[in-house]
This record gives sequence, structure tokens and C-alpha cells, in this order.
Amino acid sequence: MRERDDSLDEPAVRFDRISLSYGPETDVLSDVSMSLAPGSMTFLTGPSGAGKSTLLKLAYLALRPTAGRVSLFGVDTGRLKRPGLANLRRRIGVVFQEFRLLDHLTAYENAALPLRVAGDHERRYRDDVVELLRWVGLGDRMDAKPATLSGGEKQRVAIARAVVVKPDLIIADEPTGSVDDDMGDRLMRLFRELNKRLNTTLLIATHDLAMVRKSNADVLRLADGMVVRQPAMAMPEAGAGSETQ
Amino acid sequence: MSSSSPLLPKQDAREAALFFVVSALCFLAALAGLCARSAYAAADKWTDRVTGEITVRVRGDDAAAARAAMIVSSVPGMQEAHALSREQAEDLLKPWLGAGGVPADLPLPHLIAAEAAPGASGVADSVAKALKAADIDATVDDHVVFSADVARATDSAGLVALAAVALLGATAIAVIAFATHSALLARRDIVEVLHLTGARDGFISSLFERRFMMLGVEAGTSGALLAFAAAAFILFVVKQSDQKIWLLPQLSLSLADGLILGLTPLVAGIAAMLAARVTVLRSLSEML
Ligand SMILES: Nc1ncnc2c1ncn2[C@@H]1O[C@H](COP(=O)(O)OP(=O)(O)OP(=O)(O)O)[C@@H](O)[C@H]1O
Ligand SMILES: [Mg+2]
Repeated sequence: MRERDDSLDEPAVRFDRISLSYGPETDVLSDVSMSLAPGSMTFLTGPSGAGKSTLLKLAYLALRPTAGRVSLFGVDTGRLKRPGLANLRRRIGVVFQEFRLLDHLTAYENAALPLRVAGDHERRYRDDVVELLRWVGLGDRMDAKPATLSGGEKQRVAIARAVVVKPDLIIADEPTGSVDDDMGDRLMRLFRELNKRLNTTLLIATHDLAMVRKSNADVLRLADGMVVRQPAMAMPEAGAGSETQ
Repeated sequence: MSSSSPLLPKQDAREAALFFVVSALCFLAALAGLCARSAYAAADKWTDRVTGEITVRVRGDDAAAARAAMIVSSVPGMQEAHALSREQAEDLLKPWLGAGGVPADLPLPHLIAAEAAPGASGVADSVAKALKAADIDATVDDHVVFSADVARATDSAGLVALAAVALLGATAIAVIAFATHSALLARRDIVEVLHLTGARDGFISSLFERRFMMLGVEAGTSGALLAFAAAAFILFVVKQSDQKIWLLPQLSLSLADGLILGLTPLVAGIAAMLAARVTVLRSLSEML
């Protein structure tokens, strides 16, 4: 079990007046402030193209904001040097919207990648990785390369890779977009287990309003470059359970 | 099922092409190096052999020639001097007049072959003065002009070869840097995923450094082996045809040549490694 340090009383993620634009045109995000309490679980919703992935990229340190400050675990990331940023990234598990598995590695090797980057020895983590892959239903696909996996199987490998180091913060972009409802529920249960047992902070972007309603978690709604926090119960009824236009 | 697969995928076609180019560049650079080395060695040997040699042409009868030889050998700094007999002089003329013979009545100059002690200077001038003082009509030739010409020719051949080595080396490094860059662009997804997983810059760049150092060493080795084969082939052909071409007697494979051939893969490997390192670190620094 990971040592808990005093940074865990600080918000896991905190945006202070963040703006971001990819070009000289309009801002994707304008003057966004929000924070995620440690151990909280938050969904990020909003129409396609609203900037959900962009907001997540700022949170997992793939993008630098045009203006404003991103703090993780109480640390102002703008003041960190590169090794400090690498250390912070190791505390974050990311499920990318487009998975980003390494094509030449097997499912098992992909899932174990963060452990390998952290310098762990395979004999120490092997059993854990195998168990995790069995849990997400990939017990018999461990040696398969991503090219031979279905979309949902790839997504599950990506989720396994994100949670394998038991990170303090998990950031997931549409993590259940490619699986059926039963598998979606199972994966959400995995996230909730980590959230309850290890106090992992969760930030999950999704279109799936039915899943949001079921989970009774906080919701950030992103529209027109701005973020509005909504209590879980106040979600508008969207008949199809999806608001993709 | 093990995580022993390398984090970078196996060589792709792009790297195979790079291997060929680096091999070819290393081959040319090593061959140019061998040529430079042999040009310098040739210059050294020629000037060694020629400096010190003094030829005196005496106009007059046999008695004058004998007197001149005595005077020449008594000049300070002279190691050895002897008058050439008519037969010896005829020998020297054979290549021009044919073995059929020098007409018996052809007046030949009396020649004195002398050799100054190594390191002695101004000996030729002393000889000229001594002969003049003895009132002997003679011309003294110490080959200085000739040996300077040889040295200049071989020096400039060596310089051209060195410039070629430098140019080829720089080209190889530039090509490696360029290829590393494009290999990195093709692998940008891997670099980014590793980066976002918390891998340090040094960890990522060492993956590429190792890959490209191996490529450089292997390509350099094959280039050097080809250069060795080419040099051995030239040597073989020359020995077969038994021709005395003035630069080639020096083209035996010496220790210095071994050094050039051994250094080629090493330099190629280090150049490739550094190029990879600089390129990877620069492109990582563009990521947050
Ligand atoms: N790298 C980029 N360069 C330029 N524009 C970009 C880039 N990435 C995203 N955008 C633009 O920024 C806006 C927000 O994109 P983003 O991917 O964050 O939306 P999203 O809410 O995740 O959408 P979706 O639900 O479809 O995944 C879009 O208009 C998109 O076209
Ligand atoms: Mg998105």
C-alpha cells in the first residue's frame, strides 16, 4: 500500500482561471476554475467538441494552458522542472480516448508498461498484472497484439494500464465508449473499488448519461468553454442516454 | 508472456535504408583515411630516401673526376662519395637509350654519387664551394627541388584525403541525425505514451541512443570491412601486375591502417548515439 503524504489533503486537481486555445481563434476553454477533492469521483460531460478531452489533457499534463494555473496534489505544475513533472505523471493513470496502446507490445506488456517505466522488476508485478487482465476479461488475450484486439478489448487493456500502478488520480476519456453495458458496469465497478479502497481520485469524461445517473457522482458540465458543476441528481433526462449530436 | 520485448519495435525499412547509407559513408571515409595515410607514408619515405643524396656532374677528363670525388668525400658532413664508372653511367641511361647500348663514343658526363650524413645541412653548398675553389667545372644537384615537389604533391594528396574524411564524417553524422529525427517522428506515439506514463527524458533517449549506437557500430563495421577488402584487392592487383607505381608500395596494411579501420565503427557508433540523443532530447523538450 502506498504511503499517504500530506499533499493528499490538497485538491487532487485544481484549475485556476484556465484558458486554452489551439490557435489564434476562439478559446476552447475560457477562464475555467474548478477543483477535485482527494478521493472524489467526478464525471465530465458536454457535447462533442466542447473541450472535454482538452480539459483532461491539461489535467494529465499533456498540454500547457494558454493562461491560468494547473495544480496537482497541491503542487503548481507551472513551477515544476521536467523531473518533477515526470514524478507527478507517475501518480496519474490515464485512459486515452484513442487508447494509445503500443502496437508492437502484447496486451500484457502494454498493461505492464507503467511498472516497467517506473523500473519495477517483472517477477514482482507479473502476478498482479495477470490478475488485473483476468478481472477485465482478458485472461485469454494476454499475448495478443493490439492489432488483433477488438475495440472493447483494446479499451480494457488501456484501462488496465491506467490502473495498474494504483495511481492517486485516474483520468479517463470515454473509458466505456467501446464496450457493452455489462462490461461498462464492470469497468465502472473497478474504478469505484479503487476509489473506495485506495481513495483514488477519479475524473471521467463521458457521453453516457445513464451511467452518470447510476453512479451518483459529481458532474462537471462543459459547454461554450465554461464549466458548470451540477449535483448528480439534477442531470437532465436525455432519453437516449447520450447527448452526442 | 513476458515483458522482454524491447520498448522500441524492431528495425523498420527506414532503418535498413539508414544502415545502407551509413555503411557506404563509412566505407568511403575509411578508404579516404587509408589513402591519406598512405600518401603521408609515401611522402615520408620519398623525402627520407632523397634528402641526403647529392649528385655531382663533372665536366672534364677522368683525372678531374677522380680529383673531384676526393674533394667531395672530404667535405665535412659527407658520409660517402664515389665516382660512377662508365658502365654504371650507361646503366642509368639504358631506360632512355635502350638496352642495345650507348654508343661507345658518346661522351658521358662523369658522375659522382654522394650521400650526406643524415641531419647535415648545407652540404651541397659546401661541395659546390670546395669544387670551385679547386677550379673544377662541376654542377651539384642535391634534389632539394625534386624532393620538395614530392613532398608537396603527397602533402596535398594527404590533405585532400583528410578533407574527404572530414566531409564524409560530417555527412554521415548529418544523415544519422536526420534519420534519427524521422525515426523519432515515426515513433512519436511511443515517445509520447512513455512520456505521459512518467518516463524521464533520459530513459526515453537512452532507448534511442542504444538503438542507434548499435546501428552505427554495425554499419561502421561493414563499411570498414568493405574498405579493407577494397584495399586488399588493390594491393593484390598491384602485386600481381608487378608494377612499381610510385604511391602504391606504401599501400601495405600497417598498424595505422588497422587503427583507421578499427576506429571507423567506433566513431560511427558514437556519432549515431550523440545524434540520437540530441534529436530525442530536443523533441522531448517541445513536449510539456
Ligand atoms: N490539437 C488540436 N489542434 C487544434 N484544435 C483542436 C485540437 N484538439 C482539439 N481541437 C479542437 O478543440 C475543440 C475541443 O476538442 P476536444 O477534443 O477537447 O473535444 P471533446 O469534448 O473531447 O469532444 P468529443 O466528445 O468528441 O471527444 C474541438 O473544436 C476540436 O476541434
Ligand atoms: Mg474527447
